[in-house]
Amino acid sequence: MKELRDLARKLLADGDAGVVIGWEEGRRGARPAFITTPDDADKLIFDARCVHNLANYLNPRKPQVKALGKPAVVVKGCDAKAVAGLLREAQLTRDRVILIGVRCGGVVQTPEMPAELTEATVATRCYGCDVREPKLVDHLVGDAQPEPPVTAALDRRIAELDALSPQERWQFWTGQLAKCTRCHACRQACPLCHCERCITDKTQPQWIESSSHLRGNFAWHLTRAQHLAGRCVGCGECERACPVGIPLSLINRKLQLVVKDLFDYTVTDDPEVPAPIGAYAVDDRQEFIE
Amino acid sequence: MNVYQPHLMNVVAVIDETPDTRTLRLQFKDPEVAAAFAFKAGQFGEYSVFGAGESTFCMASSPTRPEFIEASFKLAGKVTNELRQLNVGDTMGFRGPYGNTFPLEQWEGKNVVFIAGGIGLAPVRCVIWNVLDLRDKFGDVTIVYGARSVADLVYKRELEEWAGRSDVKLVTTVDPGGETPDWKGEVGFVTPVVEKTAPSADNAVVVLCGPPIVVKMTLPVLAKLGFADDQVYTTLENRMKCGIGKCGRCNIGPVYVCKDGPVFTAAQLKALPAEY
Amino acid sequence: MSAAPDKRPTPKGKGTKGAAPAAAAGAAATAVAGAALCLTEENLGKLVAEIVAGGTRLVAPAREPQAGVGGSADYRYISSAAELAFGDSLPRMSLKGFFLPQSEVLFKWHRKGADVEIEAVPTEFPPQIVLGARPCDTAALEIVDQVMDWGLRDELWFGRRDATTIFNLSCPVEDASCFCHAVGLNPDATRAADGMLTPVPGGYLVETCTEKGAALIEGHKALFESGDTGAAAQRSKAAAQYRADARAKVAADLQIDTTRIKEWVGDHFDDDFWTALGPRCNGCAACASVCPTCHCFDIVDEPEGVGHGARRRNWDTCQTGVFTLHASGHNPRADQNSRFRQRVNHKFFIYPSRFGEVLCTGCGRCSRVCPEGQDLAEVLACIDELARA
Repeated sequence: MKELRDLARKLLADGDAGVVIGWEEGRRGARPAFITTPDDADKLIFDARCVHNLANYLNPRKPQVKALGKPAVVVKGCDAKAVAGLLREAQLTRDRVILIGVRCGGVVQTPEMPAELTEATVATRCYGCDVREPKLVDHLVGDAQPEPPVTAALDRRIAELDALSPQERWQFWTGQLAKCTRCHACRQACPLCHCERCITDKTQPQWIESSSHLRGNFAWHLTRAQHLAGRCVGCGECERACPVGIPLSLINRKLQLVVKDLFDYTVTDDPEVPAPIGAYAVDDRQEFIE
Repeated sequence: MNVYQPHLMNVVAVIDETPDTRTLRLQFKDPEVAAAFAFKAGQFGEYSVFGAGESTFCMASSPTRPEFIEASFKLAGKVTNELRQLNVGDTMGFRGPYGNTFPLEQWEGKNVVFIAGGIGLAPVRCVIWNVLDLRDKFGDVTIVYGARSVADLVYKRELEEWAGRSDVKLVTTVDPGGETPDWKGEVGFVTPVVEKTAPSADNAVVVLCGPPIVVKMTLPVLAKLGFADDQVYTTLENRMKCGIGKCGRCNIGPVYVCKDGPVFTAAQLKALPAEY
Repeated sequence: MSAAPDKRPTPKGKGTKGAAPAAAAGAAATAVAGAALCLTEENLGKLVAEIVAGGTRLVAPAREPQAGVGGSADYRYISSAAELAFGDSLPRMSLKGFFLPQSEVLFKWHRKGADVEIEAVPTEFPPQIVLGARPCDTAALEIVDQVMDWGLRDELWFGRRDATTIFNLSCPVEDASCFCHAVGLNPDATRAADGMLTPVPGGYLVETCTEKGAALIEGHKALFESGDTGAAAQRSKAAAQYRADARAKVAADLQIDTTRIKEWVGDHFDDDFWTALGPRCNGCAACASVCPTCHCFDIVDEPEGVGHGARRRNWDTCQTGVFTLHASGHNPRADQNSRFRQRVNHKFFIYPSRFGEVLCTGCGRCSRVCPEGQDLAEVLACIDELARA
């Protein structure tokens, strides 16, 4: 993508950015790139395999990225929503990052797949995407892209689960969460999981047991879900990162639907719009307080 | 035999050394285990509070006094917090002894210089008593010990005992500002006091332990006094869990602190990457 | 016929009880105790049924029981042949979890006043059989044996090792991320295996490597056929071809010198290589979860009620931020650069320095599972090139 490469080259040559975080060709498909010299800007690519949410690298708890200098990050719309989340939660100030928006027509499910978008290959996050041209950006590159193929597979699956009896649903989730190894890849892959010290790492007291028995795993996943409610941008990175294939997007998407229903809120890439659970308003719902 | 299962210990004495440091004196519940137990200076153990977990402490008592074992620790986290709630009569766990040892056999006939800062005196104290209990085997014994303030000096009763012995040269110091009106010892950080004390490097070994900054600053001073890197011994504290070389936590470069250490010479320490 | 010998010499460790020691390097690693036999697909099904009916636990590659999610094959306890997924992809997780469980009780305690009673856990385990283990997963067990037997012997690990009979499934090579050959193994290696199954038309060529393996076959004799010499020769030929093809395929993936790499890693602790590589890693530790040789663990106490609880050991990894966090707040590995370096360091410098071999079997899972595209084969190739320069 000439436009992207030229921009990156210029930002680095002018010293506006210390590092351009984008995508490059890896051995197994597209992968994040950390371009620190203008010459390397030609490594940058963008296509439907560029799945990764690069906002994750803006997590303040990554000193090794900070050490590279002021970042210019290439963001798709969903990634920009995550950046908005970081800004909203004061993990980042707008002047400390350069955002290079890229026009997106959808991504495939994994960076290793061919860059062919079909109903079968398109990532679940692309369903109902409202940010194909990210707004929260300093630059916008790329040609206008067609609509991604639509598949409501995720919402259909959620409806199926909702239709189960509580016992059946419990069976399903115990089966899935029993696989969890507590590697916390879901947390590490998530741009919004930025706590200085995650609750499950705290020992005095041990709020959430770190053992991977069912009790500990439920505690972890339920807590993470609670902490993400209203904040999760639906990028699906957690599910992609999970080494044991736990369908985390079912939980996170369900939460999005619940939040929409209760608060009429969908996560936005405008950092000025407060998230429902993170902000207090005098007219907040309180019919559950009897 | 499950190597992760601890022995049960009775807490027979609790001594508060300083506001945040405590010594626990322990005895094995099982007399057979007690009779069979032996360790050497330098080794450490994993001390359990059932319900909180295990903590790694050096053996602070001397192997020459096998009626009990002692551990001294500073309040730092979850387990040490629980250790401070224990009373005489409570039950704890112990796994050990693990690790390598100070090679006392090689020191016979030599002068031994002990240098410690703060809670670093705990592992050193084990060697001090080991040496003093076999006094004839060693030459001059010099002890330089310092802490932030008078209140922070550990093993105060024993400092008095050592001061009273004619076969021990004891120099105690507190950091500037840490002295009390009736303090009779030195005032200054451990390192300059070591320099002032100027122990001779001739036919001598040094046992050094303290906070990383004390060790870091004292090593060059010792070199200046003529001590070769293999005459200086220190004991490293590193995050440990299993204590037996399996859990992978304590390695520094090619070394597992729990197996290759915790006792290292300055020469060995300098060969390690700066990852501790 | 026999497979090419495993390139790595067998370690000097005690090995496991009840198994004849694996042959030393140079001799055929597949020490055929009896004539090579055949197991038809149908009889494989019957073997599974017989083992299960006999009450012995059976582990094999099997698909996820819950439909509609994932669908990858993984090593599981199975109860019927219908669950077998021999021909599927490399099982997602390694065999590690059957010997070092993700979370394992070390003992339980019960308080009685000021006193405490310890409830021990068994260090002997009921027999279990693994059918269809990939050679990279089986060999990993013997590599980890070394640290588990270093100084004090971990009886929980070895109890399970001793109770287990493992039959490998000769591997067709998963994809270009495999590099077992580059670390001294092969897709048909039999290191630490009690027997080997090689796919041939109609079923599998079966060979035994140890007494344990022979005992398993003996116990289900009727299911294994030797057939006439013509059929046997054909099977041998087919199996040899299958293995040779696999070996050639994986050899092309990566060519490195692990000794050269070890020296470079040991000498270049502070190299810029690590600061260039580290930032991409998000510290998710998915690699350590799927790795057959990663064995680091945490020990925690968990109260389970008033006055009683369990001390557990749980899988842990040097990739997390808190792995080396001291109670004082000091952290010797405070960023992902140093933590990613540690992973490569432990596997390719520390472990070989200590135990004479790399802590890696080239299964390629870490590269496949990494969400950010870190590729171990690529890392090793880069280091090898730097080392040669």
